Amino acid sequence: MSEVREGFVPNPVLAGLMGICPLIAASRSLAEGAIYGLGTAICAIALGAIAPPLRATVADRLQAPATLAISAAVSTLFAFCVRAYSPAIAAGLWIYLPLLSVSGLSLYALRRTSLPGRYGPDASLRFATLSLESILFFLTAAFVGGLREFIGLGSLTLPTPGPSPLRIDAIAFPPMRLLVSPAGGFMLLGLLVAVYRALARSGRRLWR
Amino acid sequence: MSYIGIIVSSVFASNALLTYGLGSIPVNGAERSRDGREGLAMILTLVLVNALAASVLWCIHAFVLSPLGLGSLDIFFFALLAVPILKFLSKAAVLSGKGLLLPIGEKADELIVGSLVFGIALLSAESGYTLLQALAGSAASGLGYWLATGLLQSIRERLELSDLPRRMRGAPAMLLSAGLMALALMGIDAGFVKALAG
Repeated sequence: MSEVREGFVPNPVLAGLMGICPLIAASRSLAEGAIYGLGTAICAIALGAIAPPLRATVADRLQAPATLAISAAVSTLFAFCVRAYSPAIAAGLWIYLPLLSVSGLSLYALRRTSLPGRYGPDASLRFATLSLESILFFLTAAFVGGLREFIGLGSLTLPTPGPSPLRIDAIAFPPMRLLVSPAGGFMLLGLLVAVYRALARSGRRLWR
Repeated sequence: MSYIGIIVSSVFASNALLTYGLGSIPVNGAERSRDGREGLAMILTLVLVNALAASVLWCIHAFVLSPLGLGSLDIFFFALLAVPILKFLSKAAVLSGKGLLLPIGEKADELIVGSLVFGIALLSAESGYTLLQALAGSAASGLGYWLATGLLQSIRERLELSDLPRRMRGAPAMLLSAGLMALALMGIDAGFVKALAG
């Protein structure tokens, strides 16, 4: 258990800086951030579940292409589901919908490299940790998307099904439109990482 | 758009890292290389890998998937081909004995996981370019990525010497710097480039 605790990344985005760049481009609204985060989490969890049998059956030199192909297959299936669920969100995510296969892969790769060792007794713990990190990635992506949209445009787009997702306009004018651009995304995420570090440090002090 | 317009746009206005968020920001890592040969090797690697990957995906998209109505499967087919393409490139580089291209093999995994190769290839396939335009655009995107990461590495080296608040050191300062660079690039929009370079 201590092995898992040591390798655990408390927040894959804000502490581990995983997939931070595609997240900036793909999380311009709550709906887009949530769907992107969900897709990445599903992809990483699927890879974590398939990895042990894959290691046992596929030759070492074919494992990288096989993992990549599985990741791409999962993201393609997810993209089909999103297009059927909400064509507007799928259009908003554009190339980032298929690209979440790579984000899922990097989240999975983080867990694989932080805990070396093949298909052994720790496999279930490793999978549990990966699942927890994936859920945290999803929550962070939704939070970043929601924050950018709310401060940037004064609205919140919910990931509801149908041709156009439900949008709540909280403020009549866009307070800081810059935040929905990549430039604003980089800046906001930089500030969030700094705030997260300060909070984590305070939390550690209180814990002691 | 003319070829010069596509190249200028791909390097600046549509920068792979700062506009599309492809690849990764050099938050930590080795210091920027002062060796010109190493820098040239990095540029060649990025340009070659991206140009080849984008051409392959463009051909698959235009000649196989689109006629069959399977355009949504492009990432899946490309994933099947990406690793063999990069392995082939790195083997060709070793066989040719050109030391300049050796980083291809070392960088292959990083380029895939960083979503740079896939992203640029997808952008080229979906931008409505011809094959040659896609080739020029993707090569220029690789150049733009190298330029952005090089500038950010220089900024990081300077920031390490500056008196920043402790919580802002490292990733937060780098992300804010990237944001300011992206803000500057927002001034060079595609319409401006089209008016300037045709």
